[in-house]
Parts: sequence; C-alpha cells; structure tokens
Amino acid sequence: MRGSEFDEISFFSAIEASGARALLIGRRALVVLGLPVLTADYDFWLHSDDIEKLNEAVRPFDLEANRDPSAARRTGRYVLENDEHIDVLVSDARTTVDSLLVRFADVWSRRVSVEIGAAKLFIPAIDDLILTKRFAARPKDAEDIRLLERLKEARDE
Amino acid sequence: MSDPRLPSPSAVQAAARFSSRRLTPEEFQAYVLAPVSEDEREEALRLIRWFTRRYPTPAERLAYARRAHSRWKGRE
Repeated sequence: MRGSEFDEISFFSAIEASGARALLIGRRALVVLGLPVLTADYDFWLHSDDIEKLNEAVRPFDLEANRDPSAARRTGRYVLENDEHIDVLVSDARTTVDSLLVRFADVWSRRVSVEIGAAKLFIPAIDDLILTKRFAARPKDAEDIRLLERLKEARDE
Repeated sequence: MSDPRLPSPSAVQAAARFSSRRLTPEEFQAYVLAPVSEDEREEALRLIRWFTRRYPTPAERLAYARRAHSRWKGRE
C-alpha cells in the first residue's frame, strides 16, 4: 500500500474496533488539536497487553511490526511500517527528562476522545501530551510544548 | 536542477539532527521556559486561529498534514 493511498480514517476505525488501548501522541496529536506542524510519522502509546490486538487490527494495511510482541515489551517500543511509519511506545510508564514518572494508566484515564470522520481515536489531555513531550526532550519537543501552551491560551480566549 | 531558494539536502539533514538531539534537563527547561516575545505569541495564536478556522474538524486537519508532508517530500 502506498503512503498516498493510505486510508487514515479506516486505519483509525480498525484500531478503535480492535479495542486496543492506544493513545495517539506526537505531532500528529498536535495537528488533531489544531497546530499546523509538519510530521511524517504516527506515534502511539499503547497498553503493553494490547500489542497483539493492535498488530492484528493494522494487518489489512500491510503494516509489519519490526519485532515480535515479547521483544517489543522488553524494549518498550516497536515500529509498524510499510510506506507509513508508526512508532509504538509500549511501556506501562515512562520517565520525563526531569525524572517525573508518567504512568500509561493515568494518562489513559484522562484521555480525550476525538471523532475522525466515522472513526474515533484517543489522544492524551493537553497537559499529559505536554508530559509525553518531555520523554525524548529534543529541541523540537520543547518547541511543541511552547506551541501547546499557546493552544491552551487560544482555547481560553 | 535544484531550486536555489531552498536549503540543500545536507543543510536540511543537519537541521534535523540538531532539532532531534537529546537535551539535558537544564537545557530542555531553558528551551521551554525561554521568554515568549509578544510577536512570537501573536504569530502562534494567529497560526492556530487560521488553522482551526480553515480546517475545523480533526479529520480535515489530519488530511492537511498528509498533503503538507507530501509537498515537503516532493521538494527534497
């Protein structure tokens, strides 16, 4: 399947139908919220029990996992790929650059549901999305946090 | 022939490496907490207002992101 033909709404529908606890994070979540940032990939934070569910859901899109579920659980991440590139974080908790422990269960409990056409996807609440931007702690993550702070301002207007 | 108005592929790669490096906690905090000038703040708010008015639904915004990335890839 070529990237340009990728049916994004069907992709999100399949994930929703699978019941996998998957949160869209990364820049694609910023776009959903209303920030026009450039991004190539999809990033998900997934409950570690749901790797098989997610992999099965995206199989019709010819997306192949780069490691098996046990290796993904061990390393805390894996990639689903064809012409699309989907980074999947699978740890139960991550630590921010300033050593704050962020638990998937807590972020999941505060998730926000978003309608994408006929599909529904889940993203973290804005303050939790800001925390996820503190995991990798790159300059572009800092820039995204500054944009998310402006988005909060815009929503308060 | 490449477009002279655009940065070279090596310059783009160098910028990507620079923006993707891991910062120390102190460096990261300094980036996040750097003062926001009024111009920067207004420009960000203007961009957000434009984007959310032009693309009112998440589906439209995601479709825009895919088109924007395709255009950007086409320039590489």
